[in-house]
Amino acid sequence: MLEDVEKRTITEDGRLMLEKAEKDRIETVWDRYAAQLPQCGYCEMGLSCRICNMGPCRVDPFGEGPQQGVCGADADIIVARNLGRMVAAGAAAHSDHGRDLVEVLAAVAEGKAPGYGIADIEKLKRVAAEYGIETDGKPPLAVAGALADAMMGDFGTRKKALSMVSRAPSKRQELWRKTGIMPRGIDRETSEMMHRTHMGVDNGWQSLLLHALRNALSDGWGGSMIATEVSDILFGTPKPSGNTVNVGVLKADQVNIVVHGHNPVVSEMLLQACQSPDIIELAKAKGAAGINLAGLCCTGNELLMRHGIPMAGNHLMTELVIATGAVDMMLVDYQCIMPSLGKTAACYHTLMISTSDKARFPGMTHREFHPDNARNLARDLVKEAVENFGRRGRVYIPVEPVPSLGGFSVEAILGALGGTPEPFLEAVKAGRIRGAVGIVGCNNPKIKHDYGHVNLTRQLIENDILVLDTGCAAIANAKAGFKVAKAIEYAGPGLKAICGALGIPPVLHMGSCVDNVRILVLVSALADSLGCDISDLPVAGAAPEWYSEKAVSIGAYFVASGVYTVLGPMPPIAGSMNVVKLLTEGLDGVVGATFAVEPDPGKAGILIRRHIESKRKKLGLDTRSV
Amino acid sequence: MEQVVVHPERCVGCMQCMIACATAHSKTHHLFTAVQEDPLPKPRVHVGAGIHGEGFPNRCRHCDPAPCMQACLPGAISRAPETNTVVIDPDTCINCASCAMACPFGVIRYHEDSAAPPGKTVAVKCDNCMGRQKKGLIPACVEVCKSGALTFEEPASALGRKTQEVARSMSRDAGGEPIAPGFALLNAVKRSQVELETR
Amino acid sequence: MKYVIIGSGVAGIHAAEAIRHRDREGDITLIGDETSPPYCRPMISMVLEGTTPPERLPIRGKDFYRRLAITPILGRRVSEIDVEASIVRLPGLEDGIPFDRLLIASGADPRPIAASGLHLANIFYMRTERHVREMLDAIPTVKTALVLGGGLVGFKAAYGLLRRGIRVTQLIRSAYPLSMQVDRTAGEMILGELLRKGLDVRVGLSAAAFDGNGRVEGVRFSDGSEIACDMVVIGKGVLPALSFVPRDRIDVDLGVLVNAHMETSAPGIYAAGDAAEFVDIARKTRWVNAIWPEAVIQGRVAGMNMAGRPVSLKGSLSRNVIRIFDMDVMTGGWVDPPDNAGFEVLSRFDHRRKTYRKLVLDGRRLVGMVMVNDIAQGGLLISLIQSETSLPISGNALVSPGFNYRQLLH
Repeated sequence: MLEDVEKRTITEDGRLMLEKAEKDRIETVWDRYAAQLPQCGYCEMGLSCRICNMGPCRVDPFGEGPQQGVCGADADIIVARNLGRMVAAGAAAHSDHGRDLVEVLAAVAEGKAPGYGIADIEKLKRVAAEYGIETDGKPPLAVAGALADAMMGDFGTRKKALSMVSRAPSKRQELWRKTGIMPRGIDRETSEMMHRTHMGVDNGWQSLLLHALRNALSDGWGGSMIATEVSDILFGTPKPSGNTVNVGVLKADQVNIVVHGHNPVVSEMLLQACQSPDIIELAKAKGAAGINLAGLCCTGNELLMRHGIPMAGNHLMTELVIATGAVDMMLVDYQCIMPSLGKTAACYHTLMISTSDKARFPGMTHREFHPDNARNLARDLVKEAVENFGRRGRVYIPVEPVPSLGGFSVEAILGALGGTPEPFLEAVKAGRIRGAVGIVGCNNPKIKHDYGHVNLTRQLIENDILVLDTGCAAIANAKAGFKVAKAIEYAGPGLKAICGALGIPPVLHMGSCVDNVRILVLVSALADSLGCDISDLPVAGAAPEWYSEKAVSIGAYFVASGVYTVLGPMPPIAGSMNVVKLLTEGLDGVVGATFAVEPDPGKAGILIRRHIESKRKKLGLDTRSV
Repeated sequence: MEQVVVHPERCVGCMQCMIACATAHSKTHHLFTAVQEDPLPKPRVHVGAGIHGEGFPNRCRHCDPAPCMQACLPGAISRAPETNTVVIDPDTCINCASCAMACPFGVIRYHEDSAAPPGKTVAVKCDNCMGRQKKGLIPACVEVCKSGALTFEEPASALGRKTQEVARSMSRDAGGEPIAPGFALLNAVKRSQVELETR
Repeated sequence: MKYVIIGSGVAGIHAAEAIRHRDREGDITLIGDETSPPYCRPMISMVLEGTTPPERLPIRGKDFYRRLAITPILGRRVSEIDVEASIVRLPGLEDGIPFDRLLIASGADPRPIAASGLHLANIFYMRTERHVREMLDAIPTVKTALVLGGGLVGFKAAYGLLRRGIRVTQLIRSAYPLSMQVDRTAGEMILGELLRKGLDVRVGLSAAAFDGNGRVEGVRFSDGSEIACDMVVIGKGVLPALSFVPRDRIDVDLGVLVNAHMETSAPGIYAAGDAAEFVDIARKTRWVNAIWPEAVIQGRVAGMNMAGRPVSLKGSLSRNVIRIFDMDVMTGGWVDPPDNAGFEVLSRFDHRRKTYRKLVLDGRRLVGMVMVNDIAQGGLLISLIQSETSLPISGNALVSPGFNYRQLLH
């Protein structure tokens, strides 16, 4: 038993909770993964197609069975179509998330969203200006209304280019235009991807992949970027603040409410309710010392970034936190919420609440949030959680939480640097910092939990490379202790000196998965400062343990924006060596960056370091051998 | 005599053989209705995962001598020489599991079956699709395998091909691309992922 | 060539078939003390249980002896082997039966107990189909039964009677039944299942005296207590039936010692089955593994050797599979070695799947295994013990739910 637990995760709280789950006979994502083996090789290679009813079809990778689907599509086309739809789904998820925020912004402007407001008026004006909206003399709500309206325009058919594409270096925008992958409309590109992948439409595997890049760009410079910017406007632009991470953030003596999912539209209202003095009194009357709000996954990241709310865990921990028996209520909205959670919660006293009209789950009670009812519904739900505190059975919280520093928005990073990226660029030019890497993405039972993130991060910071992280990766690194002041001890001498001087950790928590766009904004600023394109910078991206379609979209928009990106698990592309070659080599000539696949974080680190040194060389900077 | 030959290096783990086998041994012989039957038909071939997640269609080897035949207490297991099939007679079977104890490959299962007396749990294993072969059809698992992991041929031909492959790999200029570079790439990634587990 | 086979059990039958397969001309004489046609001894417990009709017991047709041109001498026991003269003697047969090749496959007899009142009716051993026939005749008037012994025979008797709706009290020496086959964890699981189904178990007691008028009505235990019972089954093990074997000419320990060709210390004389003592693959020492599959293969190999084909066996191995109500148990090899034997023991209890697995490992060699539930692939582990293969994967992989044959391939 112990052997299995050791193989599944590197985290102490994960191991202890896995043993608890085993004792409580809770089925976990690892059990379900083992039961699925062997997974079908056709599907693993992207060689199965279910797009039309003349099928379903598969192509024999050994060359003897069928080599084409019924329609005549060969392996290249089938693989490209499948990958395209993954990008479309991922982009759609992010973009819908952005859309919901824009609708809240519009409702706020109309005074129809009690509890919501404009938290960062400066940012509102800055972004509005980017959209060409006149802000002088206009009250903030009027600006908000105009901005919401203008952002809605980005979702449709009106434009030739998304508004915030202008944030990218002009060389990059020119490349997109020349290559024909300039994103025009957020929903448009997703819709066109679904059209192109319909049987009998786009049967050029290269053109399919090019459109996939465009679809991804409509997410990165569109849907996700809108999501992050509007979240900052409504709820505040993150500033560095302390927080804590792991299952130990749950408190035996307090009402524990956990938020899971993605949209701060829900979690921010819950936070307000949890902080209401009258409800806290209610909790105390029930014998609790207070109300403890904690987060899981991205919505947790949103609260962490803005309010220092603690994080109970990342993707593979979501079932296990319930097994503490300490969660009085878990509220979810959408994305990355396993449909098994209701079943897990049924073994404990935990109340499971679904909140989004788009997302129902077995075993959960549905209480729908809308901008007009959110504040009151949040209060009702928190009160119900307080009631549930008395129904706890045995509680098992076997660890102490790990402290961490988060909240590194671009604004905060530039602020820490003194207002411009210059100090950072100086350090890069001098070679004391070699470059920067964004470590992003999920967990996946195919990779030992947190092993990929933590080991890659450790290698990079040891070699004087600044790490920026988001999503599940950010939680992994926080749990590993990389985000406290003395974490600079893990860093190489150059990085250690800079971070020490600035009082920042060597790994900067930049937020949730939509907040990956903060990295895009940052590298654009660096490129502009150096007068080059993003693809010239000594930077890279990595998704060491990704699982979701959203991650495919993110990886694609990073590469399309000029950032070399290393994936841990392999996407379903091995069925077409043409596609593999294009994505891992050919794209360099198209967008100045490629993908790589390497599950071993040790080897991935070497690939990244070699890449960074080669970029340095091309910029005329000093290089190290790797 | 043509027999089912397994080529493990070609199995992609899609489990189509299992579905086809169960359907071929159902009452209605059609997938959509087979899944409604009682007893639910079950496959006689079992796709298991290797250490690195590779697929493998584990089926009865119809051994000669057959350990299961020797172990069977009531003598329910016999050989049908025309197809070289080791057959279990469900009427004689007493569900004692001595055959499972003897089978070095783990291919026998115990359940109710449309070929057995109603309500009786019996030992069930591959029957070489004797019924299909009598009608001039090939075994169901072979018919659906599109990757060439299961073939129906003279073992001598399969071995002949293998001999050629080995011989070719010995020549001085050998060492070229694997026949399915994509599958080799997938397996290398999967091996790496599993190896990381125990680091 | 004159072949003589002592014993009409499965070892003798398989030996006779193996000989006849290779030697169409030789004389085969088979001596057995049971008169029924060759039958499957393990199945008698299923006849007792009621799941198998007695007609299913025979494993060869009534014309078996005639078909294979075997001269049967049934209903008799051998009194002596004259090794010098190569003659087998039976009471009432003046000249005896000469042999060129002899097989001792006389099986084993139930171990007797010391108690008074053993003459009373409805006290049975359970070794032959006749014993079970007599038990079935008695059962209609039996309400309560006493079973002595927690080994395989005692266990199967208790189980069969329970399935027949009879109240059963079982006396076992160890804390759990089948202590020679399973380890404590599995044993306690089995005991739990039996207790749940109404078995009354007494540990550490023995029967001192049986009382009754013509037929047994009660029993007095060694601690002085008494219970009523109207049937008794004695299952206190078996002893190889070797009274006729001259121990000064043929090496005998518990069983007749044999080499890899099933030959005894006297050339031309072989032994197989419950009467034989052969090296145990797991224990690496001589052992009597009195189980059906051993009798089958040993009889076959003895017969092949007797007919001139020098096939050899590596050794014997203990193994068993039993279905007990809703629980299935399979065991093989050396399941409970002493702590100082230097073996590694790996066990896993999966509460969700209700399975138990235990492995005994000598380095990378599997030496023993216990499986409770989900036993269908247990033969994989048993064959690993038999072949003494150096395991290509970890013990942990062997006990994981996903374990299958593929993981043993390179």
